[in-house]
Amino acid sequence: TAGMKKDIERLYEAVPQLVNVFKIKEKIGEGTFSSVYLATAQLQTGHEEKMALKHLIPTSHPLRIAAELQCLTVAGGQDNVMGVKYCFRKNDHVVIVMPYLEHESFLDILNFLSFEEVREYMFNLFKALRRIHHFGIVHRDVKPSNFLYNRQLKEYALVDFGLAQGTPDTKIELLKTAHSEDQQESCLQNNSTMPLGNGMSVNVTVPKQIAQQSASKPSDKKFISHSKIQIKEEREGKEGSVHHSVQRSVFGERNFNVYSSTYQQSSSTKVIKHSKMIDVSSRKLVTKKKIISTKALNNGTARKAASGCSLNLICDCYATDKVCSVCLSRCQQVAPRAGTPGFRAPEVLTKCPTQTTAIDMWSAGIIFLSLLSGRYPFYKASDDLTALAQIMTVRGSRETIQAAKTFGKSVLCTQVVAAQNLRTLCEKLRGTNSSCKRSQGEVPSKSVSESTLPTAADKLCAPDTLGKQIQHLKNIQEGDGALEMKAADMKGWDQVPDEAYDLLDKLLDLNPATRITAKEALQHPFFKDMR
Amino acid sequence: VKQVPAPKSKTGRLKNPFVKVEDRSRRYRPFYLQFHIFPALNYSVPKPCSPFEVEKKLPSAPKQTQPKQRNKPNSDKDCGTPLHLPQKDKKKRGYCECCGKKYEDLYTHLESEQHQTFAQSTEYRIVDEIISKFVYQFVEYKDDAKKLKRTKCST
Repeated sequence: TAGMKKDIERLYEAVPQLVNVFKIKEKIGEGTFSSVYLATAQLQTGHEEKMALKHLIPTSHPLRIAAELQCLTVAGGQDNVMGVKYCFRKNDHVVIVMPYLEHESFLDILNFLSFEEVREYMFNLFKALRRIHHFGIVHRDVKPSNFLYNRQLKEYALVDFGLAQGTPDTKIELLKTAHSEDQQESCLQNNSTMPLGNGMSVNVTVPKQIAQQSASKPSDKKFISHSKIQIKEEREGKEGSVHHSVQRSVFGERNFNVYSSTYQQSSSTKVIKHSKMIDVSSRKLVTKKKIISTKALNNGTARKAASGCSLNLICDCYATDKVCSVCLSRCQQVAPRAGTPGFRAPEVLTKCPTQTTAIDMWSAGIIFLSLLSGRYPFYKASDDLTALAQIMTVRGSRETIQAAKTFGKSVLCTQVVAAQNLRTLCEKLRGTNSSCKRSQGEVPSKSVSESTLPTAADKLCAPDTLGKQIQHLKNIQEGDGALEMKAADMKGWDQVPDEAYDLLDKLLDLNPATRITAKEALQHPFFKDMR
Repeated sequence: VKQVPAPKSKTGRLKNPFVKVEDRSRRYRPFYLQFHIFPALNYSVPKPCSPFEVEKKLPSAPKQTQPKQRNKPNSDKDCGTPLHLPQKDKKKRGYCECCGKKYEDLYTHLESEQHQTFAQSTEYRIVDEIISKFVYQFVEYKDDAKKLKRTKCST
């Protein structure tokens, strides 16, 4: 891997302070906005320790870099939230040094975890989320590759605040400049903001001042908030079509071999390329928007046209299958969308401008859904409305439409799909339910990584369950399950308690206002005896 | 400058099946997606794949993540614009937040005067302020290999 060596050389060159401090071993992740390296360092305590060096793309704005650092320093280092050891900078090159946590690839272990391990995993995820939500951080990109898991050590770490946003009352000062985008609504605002780059040159060294300034000078506020939105939009773009991509989570997974067990060797490279393409397209869009914005500012008629949006042109298309020149000529609503499509909450997918920490809880619910069903990624969507449609097929179209009303969205869907019973759904998908196995015919061989074979530990099973297991065993043997034998056991999967599905239901609450919080989740009966 | 295509071309009735979303304020453009096939749960897809995995028609798998669609609602493209992906590019294209500028090649951009001016500016003091609070806890390696490396570097 000459490429990797070259990258390491380049990093040493870009940030020479690293030279005598770190032995950089390898690149362990690469995303569009950063690369992560594994290195060792000699500490003053006398120990040599493994470190993760996150090299941010030098095009990152200092405000973004600082905000990420502040999340790590203020909220991190505790309760399963990644902390920071140090940070090096030379000009535009910034390297964040974090403790290295050896971790599993979610996909590799998904179907080998015991039910108890799943319970612990979720409990520890909620601990991390409670921690960051307490500080008013909306992570926006909660997914397995951003939640490091060391199965042996039972250690966990929530990573990557590169997309984080502040709640209106966030305790992270540097996220405060960004939160006003929640109020972002009118067309006029969208179109009258200055181009991003200049916008970002607002003096940001004293964030408190900005907040005050912006209160008195509304234009400044828009300025910042819109800039933020644009950054977010272009940032999320890279995940655009690679739903299960690990692009964003450069420390989260060993992106180079995360698919090794399931996909052909070359696929990860393809995925990376692919996502870069998407990224390029989304960045282009930002620029396009920028040009339009500039026009709107400089040109009187354009400005009129922009403000025309607020004239609130009504047509008959609302809530019908029609679109016309009137409704289509209105401007697009701007709402934060950063994140990964398959993990986005319905209010994100429908562009609800006010988004809260509840979006992270939805994402946690998607992780839980993966764990319970043995499927990852669970949702496979390249765009927001496909993702929404997939959510409807699980949670019900009527239910989704109804919940969307509560956050101000009219959703029309030609397909009427019933909500699934979560237990039935998960058991069928996991294959714990033998009747379903039969009905679906033989399981395709090889690619199936079965985890559900009876072991000695399951001797106490009810005869009925045992029967199922035997049937199951047969199914596997008929397939090509021999390889999976060693990892296979029921490990509690034959008796998943109702509490699990009750909690899942509360996480996948379509209404963000009633969706369970991290604090509440930790108190949920599913975790009784864990606290 | 590529302008947003006229929305006129796509007025009328949406084809089934579709999903359409509009803000209840009716102040924003509705966005919609017309499906060739509405998503459905597929239980026969082998674990650990998504139950929404599209049946593979071609051996080249990654393509499938891009279903055909008439519009990409949440892009800045107007509704009705066919999804267009730029050609694969060896160069690292992207957008610089510092300069507010699109670039064709990352390394060329980083060396540009505008970016270099920014890179060496005081804009980063907000980052340095945070760095100044960290406790430096490393000991330098006295390693010949590293020293060699250093001489190689043009610092």
